[in-house]
Amino acid sequence: MNRPARPLAPRPLLVGALVLGAAVTACSAPGDSAEKAGSDSGPIKIAIVDARSGQLSSLGDWEYKGAKLAIDEWNKKGGIDGRTIQMKSFDDQGDPTTGTNLARKIASEKYIAMIGTAESAVTIAMAPVLKQSEIPNITSGQADALVAQKSPFLFLNGPTSTTYDSTLAKFLVEDQGFKKIAMISNNGSFGKGEHDAFAKAAGELGVTPVSDQVVTTDQKDFSAALTKIRAAKPEVVFIGSEEVEAGLIVKQARDLGIDAPFAGAAPQGTPVFIETAGKKAVEGTFVSSPYLSNEISPAAQKFAAAYKAAYGEEAELHGAKAYDGTNIVLTALKNSKVATGKKLADAIRATRYEGLLGDFEFGEDGVGITKTTIGVIRDGKLVEHK
Amino acid sequence: MQDTFQTLVSGLSLGAVYALVAMGFSLVYRTMGLVNFAHADIAMIGAYAASTFYLTSELPFAVAMIVAILVTGAIGLVIERVLRPLENKDFDLMLIGTIGFGIVLQAVAILIWGTTGRAVPSPLASAPLDVFGIRIRTYDLLVMGVAALAVVALGFFLSRTKRGAAMQAVAMDHEAATAVGIDVGRSNALAFAIGAGLAALAGGLVGPMLYVDASLGGALGIKGFAAAMLGGFGSINGAVVGGIAIGVLDSYAAGHFQGYSVLVTFLVFTVAIMIRPTGIFGERTVSRA
Repeated sequence: MNRPARPLAPRPLLVGALVLGAAVTACSAPGDSAEKAGSDSGPIKIAIVDARSGQLSSLGDWEYKGAKLAIDEWNKKGGIDGRTIQMKSFDDQGDPTTGTNLARKIASEKYIAMIGTAESAVTIAMAPVLKQSEIPNITSGQADALVAQKSPFLFLNGPTSTTYDSTLAKFLVEDQGFKKIAMISNNGSFGKGEHDAFAKAAGELGVTPVSDQVVTTDQKDFSAALTKIRAAKPEVVFIGSEEVEAGLIVKQARDLGIDAPFAGAAPQGTPVFIETAGKKAVEGTFVSSPYLSNEISPAAQKFAAAYKAAYGEEAELHGAKAYDGTNIVLTALKNSKVATGKKLADAIRATRYEGLLGDFEFGEDGVGITKTTIGVIRDGKLVEHK
Repeated sequence: MQDTFQTLVSGLSLGAVYALVAMGFSLVYRTMGLVNFAHADIAMIGAYAASTFYLTSELPFAVAMIVAILVTGAIGLVIERVLRPLENKDFDLMLIGTIGFGIVLQAVAILIWGTTGRAVPSPLASAPLDVFGIRIRTYDLLVMGVAALAVVALGFFLSRTKRGAAMQAVAMDHEAATAVGIDVGRSNALAFAIGAGLAALAGGLVGPMLYVDASLGGALGIKGFAAAMLGGFGSINGAVVGGIAIGVLDSYAAGHFQGYSVLVTFLVFTVAIMIRPTGIFGERTVSRA
């Protein structure tokens, strides 16, 4: 009341925003008109969307490196139809809202295909926009909710949670004879997908979890949930969460005196999980994964060597997935003579590809791989369970 | 019953950390009447600094903590120096300034340490204690002990030393304090530096319990701020009680409401603040604008 200057304050801000907005539009306009979707010349524009900052950035980084490796190899061989493949990386920060904005940006800047994201929630958020603008997208996400989108433009470069977790449940119950299984999962898209898939698979084998704890995606202290799990005295604990959170859960569980082994899907096979929890804590963790190690096949060895040469670090599942996914998109582009939209999506669906993760054969649901193997962590390394 | 106590134990150790964060908020507020919104991010920098000195430079944990406190203390001095020309002139701008500093600190953290973050192993190798089936991490005991020491030390400083008394005087009436020869600027600088040091203490201690990354400030800040509010902003005792209350409440909420725990914690907090807007130890607020 006593400061008359105040109500005026927003006005310069508003003007500023308008000017800025106008400037941004002015800048992007020429690009839009110059490059039409599916143009017959010039570089082929592919967008890579991933978390490049935040807690999920290691995931995004792996995927980016895998995709870039594939694209660089294709470009070295002369691209597709003499056209180079131009990739651009976008940072979704692991955030669905940011992802939705990026989806619109990708559509308006006429990218013909998108690789990513590594995060189910972000991919799901982006799916409707990409479907509407007919941009095929191959994701590293694995939540069954991805399939439920029923988008003909959405593909998975790996198995779904159902595949991961039914294999795992079968192994735990039938091979290992565990009857008392506890579950801890987060309420994010990935965690919920894992939770539902594993609970269903275990239920079909006649096992109900002795404890079923749900945590949030940004939670860091799990004492309460782990205390309940400890009271249930499980023989094995299933984790449905991303790398860092899963690592923290295992670390804190050991502090609370939970000695049971842990079990989970792809995130539990990563170095980030192992480092976060500590080598000793993760010993004996069961992992369901389509890509256990770089040694498993000649193709994997070749990929791992190329990866190491390019980035100076060991390859792992997510890089391999993105490498496969990107190769599939590029193969489809080649087979279809650089088609776009619906035609490109159909070409991807028709692509048969022998990848690092297995033989891809896409169904109507966009899933190409329906098999995983069981690994176990020994001395801080994921090895095949024999 | 065992579960209840186990939950309580983990709530107490995190509560002790929230209390330290809240104390930093309160100290700056009671001397300057200013909420330092950069406080939580200073705690994050403190956590990163402590973990770097501890893991990369391989200093003993205690030494790493002290160095981290000195680093953030210096950051506190810088922030105060930058904001000083605004003191007693434009209060709103000072507030916005602290928010700006918080954002800058996050960006700096990403520049220096990258985006991924790191898990810090516990500096105490000894196995958790087992008391009637309740597991107590020795590190949790250390955290509670250090927090208690910090509370006592701060209380002693404010009530028993000349500097502390001068700070209190500035808080009550800065014009009168200036008239009797107290340097208000230096007093404020000291408040900022101690506040920042407390933030580093909280951040450094919480590192081995949680995970250190650029968003740590968000997690600590909101709980620490709520703790300060609940206890009564500006009150040191209030900060301690509020911190422990929030920690324990959070712990039980996580046990009973699982995925909705944060919502429940803040619903209870909101109701408590509606019933008693000034908090438990509510004092008349200081405003110098």
